[in-house]
Amino acid sequence: MKEKLMAELQTETAFTIPILGGIDIPESVAVTWLIMALLVLASIILTRNLKLNNPGKRQLLLESGIGWLYDFFGDILGERGKCYIPWLCTVILYIGCANMTGLIGLKPPTKDLNVTAGLAVMSIVLIEYSCLKVKGSKGFVHSFAEPMPIIAPLNVLELFIKPLSLCMRLFGNVVGAFVVMELIKLVVPAILPVPFSMYFDIFDGLIQAYVFVFLTSLFMKEAME
Amino acid sequence: MSTLIAIGAGIAVLTGIGAGIGIGIATSKAVDAIARQPEADGKITKALLLGCALAEATAVYGLVIGILIILFLGQ
Repeated sequence: MKEKLMAELQTETAFTIPILGGIDIPESVAVTWLIMALLVLASIILTRNLKLNNPGKRQLLLESGIGWLYDFFGDILGERGKCYIPWLCTVILYIGCANMTGLIGLKPPTKDLNVTAGLAVMSIVLIEYSCLKVKGSKGFVHSFAEPMPIIAPLNVLELFIKPLSLCMRLFGNVVGAFVVMELIKLVVPAILPVPFSMYFDIFDGLIQAYVFVFLTSLFMKEAME
Repeated sequence: MSTLIAIGAGIAVLTGIGAGIGIGIATSKAVDAIARQPEADGKITKALLLGCALAEATAVYGLVIGILIILFLGQ
């Protein structure tokens, strides 16, 4: 049983592109391509024929949803942070879809430490870039001595701790949910997995997506102060 | 040897105590605040969810270490 769990936790190669000596495609990349295709298709289909007067029901729903997201992030980020809102919305959609692929039977791509680490690295790069753009390079260096110069080493350490905690929080939640679901399925494969799967995949997955993006936007606002 | 591994994994999961106490206190304060001012419950719920997810993260770190200890160090 332990070997089965260990095997499930490793990232396997889904298929191999036969050019340049065979590029191995891990499973998380293949599922990410599927999510990308789904989101791009949804974007194209939902934004056809947008009208200024007499909008249809689909357009009204879309506008209210996107408007709600923009208000939500605009509250936190303020005027100067408005250019980062599309990226934040994309990440929350991606992580939400990625955590819910467990419902379909595919392995969630966020179960792979590389995926969450990549997302965390993008977050910290954007946070530091937003600080740089607002304060200039001299202000950026000064911001490390922000409340008091004695805290400067701690601020430099935070440069590494913020993405680490973002990455491990998302990874830990998804892997923990995955292991508990596998154990439940081994013990009682019939009806018990269903409510647990609803809780872990839907509720926990969406909350983790929300927390990741909310924390990133909070750090950005703090960096732009 | 395997007893030490089991004890190590058990100690790793004790981080759940902190998360449980922290989230319990946070929820009680949130319920007090909602009882005091029911029309602010949207903002209170948002802040509560964020605080719970942040506190839960520390418990999950312990769980991940426990799982890794059992899977990688056990025979």
